[in-house]
Amino acid sequence: MTDHRRTLALTAVLAGLIVISTVAAPLASARPAHEIPVREVSDANLDEPDADGWEAVPASDVPLASAPSSVPNADDTSIETVDVQAARTDERLYVRLEWHDATRDMDASATREFADAVAVQFPANTSSRPPIAMGGPDNRVNVWYWSGATGTQELLAGGAGSTTAFENPTVQANASHAGTGGNATWTVVYSRPLDVSGENRTDLRTDGDLDVAFAVWNGSNGERSGQKAVSEWHYYPFSGGPQGPPYETLLWTIAGIAIVAVVGVTSFGIYRTRGVE
Amino acid sequence: MSTDQQDDQDEDTLVNVADGVDHQVAMVMDLNKCIGCQTCTIACKSLWTEDGGSEYMYWNNVETKPGEGYPRGWEDSGGGWESEEHSDRSPGEIPDEEDYGRAWEFNHSEIMYEGSDEPLRPREGAEWGPNWDEDQGAGEYPNSYYFYLPRICNHCTHPSCVEACPRSALYKRQEDGIVLVDQDRCRGYRYCVEGCPYKKVYYNTVSKKSEKCIFCYPRIEGEGPDGETFAPACAEECPPQLRMVGFLDDEEGPIHKLVEEYEVALPLHPEFRTQPNVYYIPPFAPGQHTEDGETVDIDRIPRQYLRNLFGDGVDEALDTIEAHRQRVRQGGDSELMELLQDKNPAKQYRLEVFDDE
Repeated sequence: MTDHRRTLALTAVLAGLIVISTVAAPLASARPAHEIPVREVSDANLDEPDADGWEAVPASDVPLASAPSSVPNADDTSIETVDVQAARTDERLYVRLEWHDATRDMDASATREFADAVAVQFPANTSSRPPIAMGGPDNRVNVWYWSGATGTQELLAGGAGSTTAFENPTVQANASHAGTGGNATWTVVYSRPLDVSGENRTDLRTDGDLDVAFAVWNGSNGERSGQKAVSEWHYYPFSGGPQGPPYETLLWTIAGIAIVAVVGVTSFGIYRTRGVE
Repeated sequence: MSTDQQDDQDEDTLVNVADGVDHQVAMVMDLNKCIGCQTCTIACKSLWTEDGGSEYMYWNNVETKPGEGYPRGWEDSGGGWESEEHSDRSPGEIPDEEDYGRAWEFNHSEIMYEGSDEPLRPREGAEWGPNWDEDQGAGEYPNSYYFYLPRICNHCTHPSCVEACPRSALYKRQEDGIVLVDQDRCRGYRYCVEGCPYKKVYYNTVSKKSEKCIFCYPRIEGEGPDGETFAPACAEECPPQLRMVGFLDDEEGPIHKLVEEYEVALPLHPEFRTQPNVYYIPPFAPGQHTEDGETVDIDRIPRQYLRNLFGDGVDEALDTIEAHRQRVRQGGDSELMELLQDKNPAKQYRLEVFDDE
């Protein structure tokens, strides 16, 4: 009987551990794939690409792929990943992007010369997620654009080919290119005040998740327009702590219950077998 | 004009004007009159392309044929359409600075201010230019040959530059089919530059936007000081007055007669399938000479070369012109010969025929 009790107690502890590990662990560990953390900071030493403040801000590797586009050579893009950091103060949102590019293409003053460029895209209206390729006519996007040749622009687009610059841009960008050869990197820091006037500008004070996407152009590869390396939609979790999509939690819960049930049934079987003896 | 009348007119004419375009400006250049003086080139340049970033551009250029042209090798640089359906474009290339020809620096200061007695000459890098191979042509003495080919934007009926722009910054304007670049929409991608098989769209290296021949639309709209209408500067300033300017669908005008009725004015490189609206009267040349200096009945300019430039219609065009010349030589009358001479009764410039619409 003592044996039986010990077995029962052991089974109960084991089952409890399994339930805890299966249900709790996935919520606490891996960040949802498309989430990019935003560090809320009070100090705003983040304007420059090499500012000290960035050391404390977590980074996310965002994979890039050639954008679907009808322009010639749209499949020929060269940048495969961009490192993204984001921080928000009471007044501004800062976005820092870093990627490898061996050549510093700052000019477009020869007929065949194109400049390196980078862009961050937000929904103009944060209540719904626009089509990834420059938004749509009823669902526009804000684009923060920086190019080595033309500097910073704040853009509005409602579908491919509709990109239009705001007349009074509110976005700032600082860029630097460091290193040589394969280790050479571009770093660009964008920032925009949370409060800006004018229509069609993304509300950065939103309490919900803020959708965001990225694009990079390598000028020396002739990349411009739709020939660009782009990300999928990601999001900044302004709604609070990390949150996975609900189906993930649901799946882990079902899996946990199933495991507990199997362990329980098995233990019960063993217990009964021994009881018969 | 009412819609019904418009429909009637459309049914009466066989002129293929682009969809959504009311009338199509057009130009006929008689290559037999071109003396290669470049007055058209300079007239255009001093009007439109003197600002920074456009130094290398010649919206109007005159090149020697056979020859590399401007930009060098443009005929092999791609662009245009794959088929007559105008659905798939052929890929093209952007010419580089060397192909266009850089502006040379000369040793003016040494000679003018430093007392140098060396001859005036480019400092260095003078290895190619827009007219580097001028008058070179082809063939061996005594049967060498060349002719001049003035070129502007063809303001095509199916412009592949317009189709190439992902931002619709280029457009064919409704009233007269002139192809323009909207400077507010252009973002300097240069798909138009590579997409034009004639390489007649240029990238401004300072404004970072593309530009092209505008068919002097302010002149034809009467925007001058006295509100008068003028033909494009390249046409008006031409010393031998080799250009006719008007509308392709003006059936009373000389252009319609030369292009559609007599079929002696031909588009350049029709195989690009953009359907140009600049047409050329193909060049005649004296027959070949023997070593003794006798003229023989062999074409000096190889007919195949002209077919390569102007398509297979060139044979019939040359035959038609020759037949009319013969008729006039024998004392007969020929409307065609009058159209091709300065007693042109249909007026050389007809730009106000549709003004009342």
